[in-house]
Amino acid sequence: YIANQPYQADNVADKWPVHVHSLSTAQAGVQHRELPTAVGHCHPDVVNAAHEQNQLLNTNSRYLYDSIVDYAQRLSKTLPEKLCTFYFLNSGSEANDLALRLARQHTKHTDVIVLDHAYHGHLTSLIDISPYKFRNLEGQKDWVHVAPIPDTYRGIYREDHKDLVAAYANEVKEIIEQAHKKGRKIAAFFVESLPSVAGQIIPPAGYFQKVAEHVHKAGGVFVADEIQVGFGRVGKHFWAFQLQGEDLVPDIVTMGKPIGNGHPVACVATTKEIAESFAATGVEYFNTFGGNPVSCAIGLAVLDVIEKEHLQAHAMQVGNLLMELLNQQKVKHPIIGDVRGAGLFIGVDLIKDKEKRTPATEEAEYLITRLKKEYILLSTDGPGRNVLKFKPPMCFSVQDAKLVVDAMDKILTDMEKEGACEPVRDLQS
Amino acid sequence: MSEAYSKAETLALRRKHIGPSCKVFFAKDPLKIVRAQGQYMFDENGEKYLDCINNVAHVGHSHPDVIKAAVKQMELLNTNSRFLHDNLVQYAKRLTDTMPEKLSVCYFVNSGSEANDLALRLARHFSGHQDVITLDNAYHGHVTSLIDISPYKFNQLGKESKKEFVHVAPSPDTYRGKYREDHLDPAGAYAGEVKKIIEETQKNGRKIAAFIAESMQSCGGQVIPPAGYFQQVAEYVHEAGGVFIADEVQVGFGRVGKHFWAFQLQGEDFVPDIVTMGKPIGNGHPMSCVVTTREIAEAFGASGLEYFNTFGGNPVSCAIGLAVLDVIEKEDLQGNATQVGNYLIELLNEQKRKHPLVGDIRGVGLFVGVDLVKDIQKRTPATAEALHLVYKLKERHILLSADGPHRNILKFKPPMSFTQEDAKFVVDQIDALLTGTHTNEGNLQSDCLGESVSHINGNACRQENGFYTDNHVVPCKRIRT
Repeated sequence: YIANQPYQADNVADKWPVHVHSLSTAQAGVQHRELPTAVGHCHPDVVNAAHEQNQLLNTNSRYLYDSIVDYAQRLSKTLPEKLCTFYFLNSGSEANDLALRLARQHTKHTDVIVLDHAYHGHLTSLIDISPYKFRNLEGQKDWVHVAPIPDTYRGIYREDHKDLVAAYANEVKEIIEQAHKKGRKIAAFFVESLPSVAGQIIPPAGYFQKVAEHVHKAGGVFVADEIQVGFGRVGKHFWAFQLQGEDLVPDIVTMGKPIGNGHPVACVATTKEIAESFAATGVEYFNTFGGNPVSCAIGLAVLDVIEKEHLQAHAMQVGNLLMELLNQQKVKHPIIGDVRGAGLFIGVDLIKDKEKRTPATEEAEYLITRLKKEYILLSTDGPGRNVLKFKPPMCFSVQDAKLVVDAMDKILTDMEKEGACEPVRDLQS
Repeated sequence: MSEAYSKAETLALRRKHIGPSCKVFFAKDPLKIVRAQGQYMFDENGEKYLDCINNVAHVGHSHPDVIKAAVKQMELLNTNSRFLHDNLVQYAKRLTDTMPEKLSVCYFVNSGSEANDLALRLARHFSGHQDVITLDNAYHGHVTSLIDISPYKFNQLGKESKKEFVHVAPSPDTYRGKYREDHLDPAGAYAGEVKKIIEETQKNGRKIAAFIAESMQSCGGQVIPPAGYFQQVAEYVHEAGGVFIADEVQVGFGRVGKHFWAFQLQGEDFVPDIVTMGKPIGNGHPMSCVVTTREIAEAFGASGLEYFNTFGGNPVSCAIGLAVLDVIEKEDLQGNATQVGNYLIELLNEQKRKHPLVGDIRGVGLFVGVDLVKDIQKRTPATAEALHLVYKLKERHILLSADGPHRNILKFKPPMSFTQEDAKFVVDQIDALLTGTHTNEGNLQSDCLGESVSHINGNACRQENGFYTDNHVVPCKRIRT
């Protein structure tokens, strides 16, 4: 592996050079397209903040220190007012597990509704609510209910449907009714604000509100999992759930991955009410490393950089351009069935045929293998492993976008000439 | 990062924004800490405190070697384990070199809780069974699956909180437990209890996936299981098709002095199937690890499903882990733990002879417990006295905590840089305070009852009322609401 090679990127608000890191032994200057580091690998501001705090103090949250409250305050300013109570942890999985515990303690119910193909984490409790995992492992538990994913391209109700929001939300309503018939009670509706593993899905606006209505009526809470998509990635808003509309306020929000630019940090934000229900058990919640001064210093530095470098606006700008370029490719290459996204969260759905929308799984695999040879790292996901996933570091530039799309164009053109997958076997040998 | 708020402001902001279940030490007069170095912590007024609690700062707070390794790697690369990186494999090798040979496969995660949860998943997958045997007063972590196997936590939630797939064995506490130091064969007797449980569960058609135990119980009150106990338990558990999980999250990395891992105290013939580690591993950096056998790892892999932990095993964490191992070696912290630990125990034993309040001194290396009793024969836990002592020690700038189911055991698990001078200092203060209490017998109880005491422990054990309302008086009894 080779150390960082700085290069000048256009379009980043400040003159700070983008640091990228090569992972192959051959070349310098390899560009990461894939990983959800928020502000760019090894951002000096974040590294400095960590280093400074490390030299001073790194201890647990049973002591008082300012960074934890500073950080909580800063986070609360990005959120709707009632989400003002925070728990700090070390991973998205820990955060989602705590969200479950909070929901159950608050509602006194047990059951959870999730979307199909959801992934919420690797802990025992979260495998149980992640159809993406449990379908291949332990199977579905009786307290877990799976609602159809509001995928307007590939789901049960598609873009030609009259009222997608009502249709998909109604599915949740029916699930609640079925559960009630069996004497079961809903603790929570748990959803990734933009399902990622399910294939970069953008739920139709208004869907969350309608679902929240049904869930609240049933005495449950709404948990928005922002672990993949928070912190300005969607451009238009800081949090992806805000894309649904200003009137949507989840009861619990979980965040992770980009929060510390790679440092193990995570967070749960919730209402005072829910926090107090949890405290009423009398049982302490203590997380050894959660909310330590270094993690908080890092979290604050990340928020600073997002602000200072206008990364949210940048994400919108570059994201829009990338979508535009990809849509041009869609017109040109029939293999591209759909281009969807928000800010720097984009999916390219590859299909074998236009009517059936059959996932072009092998082709997608071939494409990313070829892209890697061009030193571009992209991944695929979705149940058909056919959706190209863009969720790069937020310093991703217009130049980077053009580079990727040009490379894709060339490869897709090749593929059309040669007839799809023959070359795959050659590459793999 | 400078501290901008007064202590009162910090506290007010905490009440506003931090979940109320997250407690602070000394609720009536919390400690604001701005800096720490070695085994010392400094408050906002620059007052220095001797830290006897923080085993997480294993090689000492803010150790320069560890900090340097961290920043060096942070400047270079911090990404996930789906890419190849040397730090990961180097670290895995160094760790497994400290273990018996068959424990050769590592999973890197971010916290003790994640590690123990993964251990459970590994055990269940390997054995094909569901049930878990755990010890009374055990604490294994805060995630849902681990609350289920931590009587320390679920006992507080009411009798119905014990799940049917969980079976609780008596803690092998030879001072306060079912079989004591005068028993012929406490190891055999306690192991026999586990055997009984296995037989019962099998009669009910249930199957054991794992026996899990902290190699030395910390929340349970600095309990050191009698040697040979683990071996016999492992025998019974293996016969039943289950595996043995040793939770080293509190006690690993040379703390016990004589060995690197606390389970090694049981004997060279004892090898767990899965070992979890955390807390001290990164000197405070969020990281953790599960080590197991190739057999168990391959069974898990055979499911075909990936195990991916976003932050686990990242290059920075591995660099930090390596640096910690280097410091332990370079500064012979294991040797220091033996030397200072023995000295500390010696001094404490003198106190035991001198003060009837001290019922038992137990420990190994820098993991020591002082069991305070009201009555030497009955061994009645001196809960109020322990809490009082801890508060008084804080006034004398010594941070010590009390634990055990009756909150009467003073727990020493300081940073491994703790010195003989530090040991002498603490014991001298304890002596002075205990001598004081002889003459002020009456005041001790009422002082404590008048205080709204917060839990003062270094790990996630107890909580108290009165976080929000400092005026709320909490009686120092065992029951938590």
